[in-house]
Amino acid sequence: MTIVDGMTSGFFQAISIGVLPYLFSGAIFGLAIGIIPGLSGHFAMAMAVTFLYSMEPGAGIAFLLGAHSTVAQGGGLTAILFSTPGTGQNAATLLDGPPMRDNGQAGVAVGAALASCFLGASFGAIALALLIPVLKDVVLFFGPPEIFVLAFLALTFVAVLGKEDMTRSLIAALFGLLLAMIGVDNVTNTERFTLGSSDLADGLSLVPVILGLFAVAEMVELWLRGGSLAKGTTIALSGRETQKQIFYGIGLAFRRWWLVLRCSAIGTVMGLIPGLGSAPAAFVAYGHAKQTSKDKESFGKGNVEGVIGAEAANDAVEGGALASTIAFGIPGSSSMAILLSGLFILGLETGPQMLNDKVDIVFIMIFTIIIGNLIGTIFGMFLVNPLSRATSIRASMMVPVLLSIIVTGAYASESSLFDVGIALVFGMIGFLMKILNYSRAALLIGFVLGFAVEKNLYLSLLIDGPLFFLEPIPLTLCLITIGFLAINIYGIIRDRQRSKA
Amino acid sequence: MRRHILKALAIGMLATVSGGISSVAQAETAAEFYSGKNIKFIVPYKPGGGYDEYARLIEPYLEKHSGARVDIVNISGSGGMKGASEIFNAPTDGLTIGIINGAAMVTSELAEIEGAAYKVAEYNFLGRVVADHRVLAVSTKSGLETYADMLASDKPVLLGATGLGGSTYVDAVILAEVMGNNQKVIHGFTGSSEVRQALLRGDIHGMWGSWGSARKGVKSGDFRILVHGDRNGNPNTADVPTVFEFGQKTGNPDHADEVLGAWEALSLVGRPVAAPPGVPEDRIAYLQTAFENAMKDPEFLEKANQAGRDLSFLDGAGMKAIAKSATELSPDIKALFVAAIRGEL
Repeated sequence: MTIVDGMTSGFFQAISIGVLPYLFSGAIFGLAIGIIPGLSGHFAMAMAVTFLYSMEPGAGIAFLLGAHSTVAQGGGLTAILFSTPGTGQNAATLLDGPPMRDNGQAGVAVGAALASCFLGASFGAIALALLIPVLKDVVLFFGPPEIFVLAFLALTFVAVLGKEDMTRSLIAALFGLLLAMIGVDNVTNTERFTLGSSDLADGLSLVPVILGLFAVAEMVELWLRGGSLAKGTTIALSGRETQKQIFYGIGLAFRRWWLVLRCSAIGTVMGLIPGLGSAPAAFVAYGHAKQTSKDKESFGKGNVEGVIGAEAANDAVEGGALASTIAFGIPGSSSMAILLSGLFILGLETGPQMLNDKVDIVFIMIFTIIIGNLIGTIFGMFLVNPLSRATSIRASMMVPVLLSIIVTGAYASESSLFDVGIALVFGMIGFLMKILNYSRAALLIGFVLGFAVEKNLYLSLLIDGPLFFLEPIPLTLCLITIGFLAINIYGIIRDRQRSKA
Repeated sequence: MRRHILKALAIGMLATVSGGISSVAQAETAAEFYSGKNIKFIVPYKPGGGYDEYARLIEPYLEKHSGARVDIVNISGSGGMKGASEIFNAPTDGLTIGIINGAAMVTSELAEIEGAAYKVAEYNFLGRVVADHRVLAVSTKSGLETYADMLASDKPVLLGATGLGGSTYVDAVILAEVMGNNQKVIHGFTGSSEVRQALLRGDIHGMWGSWGSARKGVKSGDFRILVHGDRNGNPNTADVPTVFEFGQKTGNPDHADEVLGAWEALSLVGRPVAAPPGVPEDRIAYLQTAFENAMKDPEFLEKANQAGRDLSFLDGAGMKAIAKSATELSPDIKALFVAAIRGEL
């Protein structure tokens, strides 16, 4: 089957009557899961797998991947409207989404987020389609030395995120790195910072940490402050006004197409790298948006570019993440592992065989991501109104309801009560960081990338010896990293001198 | 006299009838007990792995043959020990069962790793889903054509592994201990899929793993199986030699055979489904039958075949014997395995 044949066949299968309803219900299901804090794409897929046994391959793929692809959109809604990340990958949206809501621009933020998600996902899916002929080589490009340097490069984005207060950002990032070390070290089998607790032996899971740092902390603050979630506006926006704002927001995302494109590219590349996941991708894209913006000062205070960058990247990740799964049947994330077992159940095998004989299946996946996100965008728009009304409910009513949802979300991902405790502890840490003005984003980047940096450094040393970074590809990446750091340090020094003068 | 005979007959009949009733009543209680109840089926790993897939594959058939609702609960952590401990220490009402990673649970128990709150031999086994067929896969680009090549290699052969003391690691070092070959274990990968990627890239030469994880690479021509761990051969790898053959060619064939035998016993524990100790016998017997019927359900067999999933059913009694022999090792063999698991080898 040639690629063009596969593409046409895949497209017509994806919109056929036997598949489209499944795609539709999958997308709505994913959107709902995304809106609920703590339930992530990997949870949506795990639930969807159960239904696959009676489905045809095309329908099954559409249902499974449809559910997975809209989760970030739902999560973005919650992030903007309730200051609570619906899923881990929406944490970066919190930096500029809620401030926009407080400025009375909730509709704009949501519109921009939904559209950027759609554009980002489409970019990732199209990139995957274009890469099909060379997919194997692209996936094999990333070994431990390359991943080490790239993760390190991503880590340096802390410098951009925390430009205003470098000392505090570095403290937060280093704290994040320390948190990443908790648990039994994979290399030496030594327990680190576990305090003798077997619950800490596997380290901290990402979901409760994110929920605590951002969602619980927000609830604590809201409770102490009183009033309603939407700070600036006393009355909810009218339905009509919200609608207007949404369309304006969608327009904004399209007008910032160059930014969307660059942030989607960041997301796709980070998706290609196994083990990094989409939360750091969104933060790196956010950092990139901030760095290249003319109006750096307003980031964190409600700049729509911050929302666009983060949301475009976290959905573009999917296209990249699918690459290694399709090319070799090697899953790069837990969601992809579930997709893989879903495909097994449907009687499909990934790997070279799929690329050669069943390329139409690959295109069903690609079109599912695009169409699923389109459905998510349209339905997301209808959800904004009822949800945004809830943001003007007073805190004494809102906090208990949201907190119980958050706690349930923290419990559900691993059925672990310990995780609920983690979320609450990190809620206090997050609250303290917020009032003391430490960057929670920097902490999260340190936390997520710390493990990848350490593990790949060790593997590189074992495989290529102490001079592993002198191999051509890692060396190039190293030079880029150093150049990037140099530009940033230069920028910081220049700003300082300017403020002195 | 006649009256006496009649009386005796009557009593006898009564006894038979009542006995019959009571035995029927008993059999019914187990079936009745499970009818409409919820069985919690623990999977000790996150959704999406092989264990999860097997569990979800068999779930509908276990429901069909037990009359109960089966809920799959993923309790991951400590390399599967958390879930295994959860099953072992569950209430003894027979409503909690689960699948365990046999070999890893046995080795963690032997090494007395903290968190191993179970005794493998004391589980009530419902049966085994599949044995763990261990194979050594090398990249077809590695230049290693046969196991003899690898054993004779002057340069260290790089074998990838997950964590220190994980099964891919233990396999590699135990085999090196027996064969005395020149190798270097590159450990620290997260999960066998990462090791496979490193193998495809050529960062490492080979890896020990289950047949299931190597199968796809063999099919696509990227991997070659050099040797496998079943003494009596295995249909999956019919034309591949077994390690026992090579064990005979070492300086100390008896010792080699003993170590390899103990190692094979571990893989035979495979992936059993177990209930905690102390569950009433009639319920265990009922669950064992239900599990056996599910494993032999033609529809299930077809589904498993379609999904490319190996099966090698073994009943509860057979499983118990295997678990016992795998945990009862002679002191020096045990010391060897404990050293391997602790990463001291």
